[in-house]
Amino acid sequence: MPEEKKLTEAESLALITSMINKVKNSYIESGFGPLLWGTLITFCSLVSYAKIKFNFDLGFDVWLLTILAIVPQAYFGWRSRKQKKFISHNEIAMNYVWSTFAITIFMVSFYNYKVAPANSIALFMLIYGVPTFITGGIQKFKPMLLGGIICWLCSITSYYTSLANGLLLMALSATTAWLIPGIILRRRYLKLKHV
Amino acid sequence: MFKELDPILHSQLRLAVMSLLIAVKEAEFTYIKEKTHATAGNLSVQVQKLKEAGYIDVVKQFRDNYPLTTCKITTVGIDAFESYVKALQEYLHAGRER
Repeated sequence: MPEEKKLTEAESLALITSMINKVKNSYIESGFGPLLWGTLITFCSLVSYAKIKFNFDLGFDVWLLTILAIVPQAYFGWRSRKQKKFISHNEIAMNYVWSTFAITIFMVSFYNYKVAPANSIALFMLIYGVPTFITGGIQKFKPMLLGGIICWLCSITSYYTSLANGLLLMALSATTAWLIPGIILRRRYLKLKHV
Repeated sequence: MFKELDPILHSQLRLAVMSLLIAVKEAEFTYIKEKTHATAGNLSVQVQKLKEAGYIDVVKQFRDNYPLTTCKITTVGIDAFESYVKALQEYLHAGRER
């Protein structure tokens, strides 16, 4: 690109549009986060459901796995930040949304532990829907928009079901909100990475 | 009377750099080079001009023992870019009415 070439007004506008589009197209979400958390929450919900239904004990709380999952999440987050050559405004917004979600989930888990309210599972699914729906909207990614809505529908439905069935609804929420979108994003990422 | 187009921005490579930086929070020099298809020498000169105009901030540091240059648009740069786009639109609008 010659450094001092003077442009016509139309050429200038075309150049601005083309550069902005280049940035938009160069960010590809790897899908690692949604895949990890979608799999984990679905797994923990199904194990908790099985524990109630078949009356067995693992000897530890399966939900503690969510604390362990912070390690790979933090590692891949750090690695991907290191490899990135730019930071988009959307990424900053997403980081704030998901950090807010993580803090909220931690606070609600603490509240749940201290107060043990009835049907707290509905509250979790309500919160799952918020960042998922926002992400779907900002990233114009329909599977996550739909996933967010399904979390909210499952949250309402869980008021009318037993705890065990509530856990199945939670598995459904995690699958539709994160696991399926995560698979779609991962496949897209791997495909584009090898082009 | 039309506003004069900002001469700092009304040049192909500098406008490309500013358009790219307006769309991100910050970008590495190598990324800008890759997207603008400019040579490192050309790009360095134009980045320096934008920096002197106060339109961008340039941070030079080391990562894993390699030099890393990061560019970020400033508030002055954002204002200048917005005024430039507005002026362009006025020119094009007037052109259509003629």
